[in-house]
Amino acid sequence: EARVPSAGMPVPLQPQAYPQQPNMYPAVDNNIPSQVQPGPPVPKIPLTPQMPQMPGQPAMDPNQGYQNSAYHGYNSQPAAAYNHLQNVDLLDKTSKVDPYDITKPPPPIILPPDTKVIESAEFANASPDYIRSTLNVAPSNPSLLKRSKLPFALIIRPFTHLHDEDERIPLVSDGVVARCRRCRTYINPFVTFIDNGSRYRCAMCHLANDVPQGLDFDTIKNVSANRYDRAELNYGVVDFLASPEYMARPPMPVVYAFVIDVSFPAVESGMVAAVAHIIRENLDRIPNRDGRTRVAFLCVDSNLHYFKLPSDSPITDSDQGDAEELSSDQLEMFVVGDTDDVFVPSADGLLVTLKDHRQAIDNLLSNLGNMFQNPKEMKNTMGLGIKAAHNLIHSVGGKITCFMASRPDTGVGALPKRDEQSLLNTPREGTLLQSNNKFYRTMAMECAKDQVSVDMFLFSGDYQDVASLSDLPRFTAGQTYFYPSWKSTRHEDSMKLGYELSKYLGTEIGFETVMRVRATSGVQANVFYGNFFNRSSDLMALPALPRDQSYMVEVKIDDTIGRKTMAFQVAILGTSCFGERRIRTITLCMPISSKASDLFASADPVACAAYFSHKACEKALYGNIDDGRQYLLKSLTEMLQVYKKEVSASNVGMGNPLHISANLRILPALILALQKHPALRKGTKIRSDIRSHAIALLTTLPPPYLMQYIYPELYGLHDMPDDAGLPDGETGQIVLPPRLNLSGQSLVAHGLYLLYNGETFLLYVCRGAISMLLEHTFGVSTIEEVPAGKATLLRIENGLNPRIHAIMDKLRDRPGSITYPNLYIVPETSEPSLRQWFASMLVEDQMDNYSKSYVQFLNGIRSNISS
Amino acid sequence: MDFEEYEDKDGVRFSWNVFPSTRIEANRSVVPIGAMFTPLHERPDLPILDYEPVACKPPCSAILNPFCTVDIRSNSWTCPFCLNRNPLPPQYKNFTPAALPLEVAPQNTSVEYLLSRPVSTPPIFFFIVDTCQPADTLMALKQSIIVSLNLLPENALVGLMTFGTMCHLYELGYSVCKKSYVFRGNKDYTVKQVQDILGLMAPTLRGTGAPRPQQISASAMRFVQPLQNCEFQLINILEELQPDSWPVKGDHRALRCTGVAMNVAISFMETSFQDCPGHILLFAGGPATQGPGQVVGPELREPIRSHHDIDRGNAKHYKKACKFYEGLARRSALAGHAVDIFAGCYDQIGMAEMKYLASSTGGCLVLTDSFSSSLFKQSFLRLFDKDPNGDLNMAFLANMEVITSKDIKIQGILGNVFSLNKKTAQVSESEVGIGGTRAWRMCGITPTMTYATFFEVVSQSAGQSGNAPPNALIQYITTYIHSSGQFRLRVTTLARAMSPGGDPSIALSFDQEAAATLLARLAVFKAETDDHNDVLRWVDRMLIRVCQKYADYRKDDVASFSLSPGFRLFPQFIYHLRRSQFLQVFNNSPDETAFYRHVLYREDVGNSLIMIQPTLTCFSTDKPPMPVLLDTVSIKPDVILLLDTFFHILIFHGELIAQWRKAGYQDQEEYEYLRELLQAPRVEAAELLVNRFPLPRFVVTDAGGSQARFLLSKLNPSTSEESNNRFGSTMGTSTYVHTDDVSLQTFMSHLEKLAVSGSS
Ligand SMILES: [Zn+2]
Ligand SMILES: [Zn+2]
Repeated sequence: EARVPSAGMPVPLQPQAYPQQPNMYPAVDNNIPSQVQPGPPVPKIPLTPQMPQMPGQPAMDPNQGYQNSAYHGYNSQPAAAYNHLQNVDLLDKTSKVDPYDITKPPPPIILPPDTKVIESAEFANASPDYIRSTLNVAPSNPSLLKRSKLPFALIIRPFTHLHDEDERIPLVSDGVVARCRRCRTYINPFVTFIDNGSRYRCAMCHLANDVPQGLDFDTIKNVSANRYDRAELNYGVVDFLASPEYMARPPMPVVYAFVIDVSFPAVESGMVAAVAHIIRENLDRIPNRDGRTRVAFLCVDSNLHYFKLPSDSPITDSDQGDAEELSSDQLEMFVVGDTDDVFVPSADGLLVTLKDHRQAIDNLLSNLGNMFQNPKEMKNTMGLGIKAAHNLIHSVGGKITCFMASRPDTGVGALPKRDEQSLLNTPREGTLLQSNNKFYRTMAMECAKDQVSVDMFLFSGDYQDVASLSDLPRFTAGQTYFYPSWKSTRHEDSMKLGYELSKYLGTEIGFETVMRVRATSGVQANVFYGNFFNRSSDLMALPALPRDQSYMVEVKIDDTIGRKTMAFQVAILGTSCFGERRIRTITLCMPISSKASDLFASADPVACAAYFSHKACEKALYGNIDDGRQYLLKSLTEMLQVYKKEVSASNVGMGNPLHISANLRILPALILALQKHPALRKGTKIRSDIRSHAIALLTTLPPPYLMQYIYPELYGLHDMPDDAGLPDGETGQIVLPPRLNLSGQSLVAHGLYLLYNGETFLLYVCRGAISMLLEHTFGVSTIEEVPAGKATLLRIENGLNPRIHAIMDKLRDRPGSITYPNLYIVPETSEPSLRQWFASMLVEDQMDNYSKSYVQFLNGIRSNISS
Repeated sequence: MDFEEYEDKDGVRFSWNVFPSTRIEANRSVVPIGAMFTPLHERPDLPILDYEPVACKPPCSAILNPFCTVDIRSNSWTCPFCLNRNPLPPQYKNFTPAALPLEVAPQNTSVEYLLSRPVSTPPIFFFIVDTCQPADTLMALKQSIIVSLNLLPENALVGLMTFGTMCHLYELGYSVCKKSYVFRGNKDYTVKQVQDILGLMAPTLRGTGAPRPQQISASAMRFVQPLQNCEFQLINILEELQPDSWPVKGDHRALRCTGVAMNVAISFMETSFQDCPGHILLFAGGPATQGPGQVVGPELREPIRSHHDIDRGNAKHYKKACKFYEGLARRSALAGHAVDIFAGCYDQIGMAEMKYLASSTGGCLVLTDSFSSSLFKQSFLRLFDKDPNGDLNMAFLANMEVITSKDIKIQGILGNVFSLNKKTAQVSESEVGIGGTRAWRMCGITPTMTYATFFEVVSQSAGQSGNAPPNALIQYITTYIHSSGQFRLRVTTLARAMSPGGDPSIALSFDQEAAATLLARLAVFKAETDDHNDVLRWVDRMLIRVCQKYADYRKDDVASFSLSPGFRLFPQFIYHLRRSQFLQVFNNSPDETAFYRHVLYREDVGNSLIMIQPTLTCFSTDKPPMPVLLDTVSIKPDVILLLDTFFHILIFHGELIAQWRKAGYQDQEEYEYLRELLQAPRVEAAELLVNRFPLPRFVVTDAGGSQARFLLSKLNPSTSEESNNRFGSTMGTSTYVHTDDVSLQTFMSHLEKLAVSGSS
């Protein structure tokens, strides 16, 4: 029986107070730091003589930094110390889930002295925005790691913003790229200069390397320069402009091949017209600074439709009208109906530069919505369409963006309808999450080989087999975007697609990228997770480098590490959308300890949750869903068991506590939330398409968004503090109301609540909401009049409604994501499925017979450990 | 009645107008019994009957005709072919012996019925354009096609396909932008695949009973549209058509998928427009170099096959390509669509392989050097000539049946027809040409297209003594769709006397012209399969036997040899036939040979004779223009010669004339006669061109000019005779007359010797 929040629950009369900050954590804004900062100032890069930053000199003003100050105040911690271990009892009466734990920065990395080449370099370690380690103190030997049952993995997020200018990473543009001769690590803030600075010791393998001349000489100004000014010795995240030796071929242009389903469901839903319209409106946003950007359009029903796009005819002064007419006439459609193999139907005009073919592209996109009205084609051969698009761009590489409103059911890549109903909630349900046609995997390999990446925009309300289709993005560094039952006539649907697709097109994605993780000798980047192609054991190939995904690398320690620190460097070599080859290095260095307690005290619950999310999804994908859930429970249980035996055993208090270090105390709640996430939840109600899409997100979202997705944010709107929903006096940022626990106990009978998981807003209207609240929120006086389901919140000129809008806008504003969450209004009086959906997000509660409340969950673990 | 009168009245010319009455005698008469028959022969006074014909019961199915016995009292008629008695339909009751229905009136051996059966669609013209050609010739071709659209009836259905490296079928019914379905150039599509790709339904099973107009599917109408609806779109597409954009590798020919284009076009047409009138018009600028029907590889170092290559089995694509196009031809013929092939190329396009497409469907072959030549433009547009009523001078979907009385059987047809495989008792086991049936189809036919039909006398003995042998009766029944959009039925019923062998009336009934053209078709037919020399031997043997049988001579006395007027020209026809491009192929390309032979298979006796023995007209200052001997003696310095070989028209200025012309005398007032003289052959030539299809090449040359060789090659080399020794060795036993540059005189004298010597 579902526990739907309802009136009569014990509820606090007052809105919850702002949570108390634990002693050892500095006060932080309760938001993701990157959202909070109003465009931080740019560090003065490239190197300028005005900023002498010799070792020993005072650190630069933290406000000058490009990274959030909240993250690096710890550098003032005493040297060579570890984070202090603080036990908390998860089942203590006073202990409860604190949602603000999720947005806290990870435990600080406290480096021993003389680790950095420039002691004062505040940003020597890459910000947690770019890399988060599950452990911020590294185990000194493999057995310690194994015994601790803690995961050791890095969560890497190469980009934090969709656009370069919002990110502001220092760029080394003088072509001096110093690398270790042996391990090929790029020079970084953790090298050691020796021999009077003529050589340096590699931070990873300790090999002595010659210092290249360019480090002390400004080749542009032709004057000697100070090496300590150089960005690569000061910053953990640095971009290098790559020299020609980093190019197997000239940097490729931006290439978009749009593959659009034009079968009847696609035309009828309005998807075709909408997509064409949005692309047309956003042509100027597609990165094209160098004028080389190329596009192709392919429409697919039971046939392939290619378009030959003639170049713009020069409009003569004398005869402007005719020239336009002529050019529009030349647009040509080629229909190719071979269902087994593809071929290119024209020698030219199919893949054209955006710059010189604008008239034809405009013409095509203006007409696309009308082109496929007749006859009604029920079949869809998208597999062939993708193959054709690959064939079209394979010699260059690029992005295939596929819009599909029906299941491919003919030709190569046809996906037979699977009997979903009979498999739901059986051990074989997991097969629904697996690909049903080898074609997509094979195609993915082909694409990856040719630097082609595929993104899927899926729109069907019927079974579409997202599982099979998402294989292509998964192995080509793409993404699956899902708009179930999308209809252009529904304003909210049009709005969402318009917003997301325009952001998507404007994103400064990279191309032909490889990512490698190097580490201190004896340590290996072992297994990679995320959407990419695993080209060799330590090399991730990303035909296109998205700016809104993250990756996980599991770390393996081969042997006891005989040093004080362990370092990692992620190197990302790729082509930018501006036609440059660039290398981004993300360097992280952490202390080493041989004590499990140090590991626990420095473990990052967010990184750990991301780790477990990846692992559980992997089990669900390649085993069955229950394996995923069991894995989560087992991992947490073992971790707590180890903690009890090895870490907190010495100071067992009264009773039978369930201890964990304070920094990890949110982890059990996150694990529970993961178990209840639509990707993994037990039950018969979740369609496999929804699950597959959820898995796609769980395995790609960057940590802050991932956390929202796992443990949504809940706000009470009916009794907000006075400043909530209004701009902060100092920062101008909208102040959010206090965040509530995901439990029915957070709700009052007359309340109005906003729940947000990064993908969706749910606006929950309790039955007891007074009519004035309804008036001020919805402009209606009774709950029956409140529109239920997907809806747009009216704009009303009064105190509450604009504040709600402001809060939603603030939450929507995620610079590293294209997602535009839709709003669903859920009156307590509405249909059960809608209410149950809201209830299912209250993960601390027991929702049905398959699920446990947070306390039940912890009690279960405690009894397992005790027995 | 003389032979031309028969021809004028019934469009027919028999080799023998009196048949030997027994099989043995018929065999002894040497020249087979055959008729050059023109089913849609135009005749101003042809009786047109606005009602349905009365037919004998099946399997005979002969139609009521002047040779029937009509019994007005019992309202019945007796079929002269099967001797069955049939009732007359009720409306015939009103006839009296004095006023019989028109179709039984003795003079009405040819009548035409206008049938009430509806025609499913207006004629379809499906254009297939090769884009692997230079921009200028493509432009010229596009313009010709655009001009031709004005010549089509407004309601005509048109379709367009282009091909090069790929094949594009345009969806003319699509208005948003240009839209074409693309087929890859190297793939052998099945009909099913084409249907799937185009979204066509396979033809539905037709109900039994009376034929009903076929329901044309909407999906098919996307590709074929009434001209009036799609003219703008079609012209727009044609105007913007560019040469194939695929790069051509160095030392390579353009990749051209003619075979795929034809396959897709025919698959489309047969699926969607079964039994609808239509023409598929292929414009090829070069050979197929890829895919099914490839005739040469894409690499230039591989030359296109010659007759020698084909003879020696060195043409690696030849047999396969022939088989491929033959299969397509069969399908198109069954579906009812004529295929016309226009070549615009200095080199070959593979007409030799593709000829079946035209020959099985009644389409035409037109061979020109370039689509920008006026030869092409005019020939192509002539296809759409109109009759006096303004209807296209072509007919569609003709099915012709030949019914014979019991003494004779039909052996087959030599012509551009397709067998409908209708075998009855009157179909001879001994096939000639396309035999084994009494019914044939001509998807495309014009009023002048003529077919050689062959008959076998089957009576074992001349009738009972005292009784005159009965007449042989032959009925040709041709249903067709007139270009006005009406089903029509033409019936020609012919009776020919049968006489015992040795009856002088048989020899007197010999039509040497018809016989020569029939023999020419037979020889060409044999040449398609047999060894070149064997065919010549067969022709020679036939000629010698004719001379032995019908000439007057005393054995072994050459001087006594003489032929009656009815036979006198025959040897010279054969002489020229032997020398003609029809049998002497090695100076021509296989494409040219295919073209020449195809045209021979279309034309009537008169035109065929011109092809066999060209005409030579002499223009001189002192005499009116007159035909002269096709002989080198006719070349004189002060005359202009006009040579007509049907395929070529050549004006030859004698040496003096040429000098005068170059000196410009014709422009001086006092030499106006010279101007007139120079003009006269041109006027004459223009008249020759009026009805000719395809247009002949027109050449004007002077004595000693480079093109004069062409004239010389056609003339009997009487004045340049080398020596008689050359064929001394073949004297006596051989029946093989060597004619390489042998003069007619030498040929004749040798022939006479062989004839009188009695060897055969
Ligand atoms: Zn190294
Ligand atoms: Zn009969």
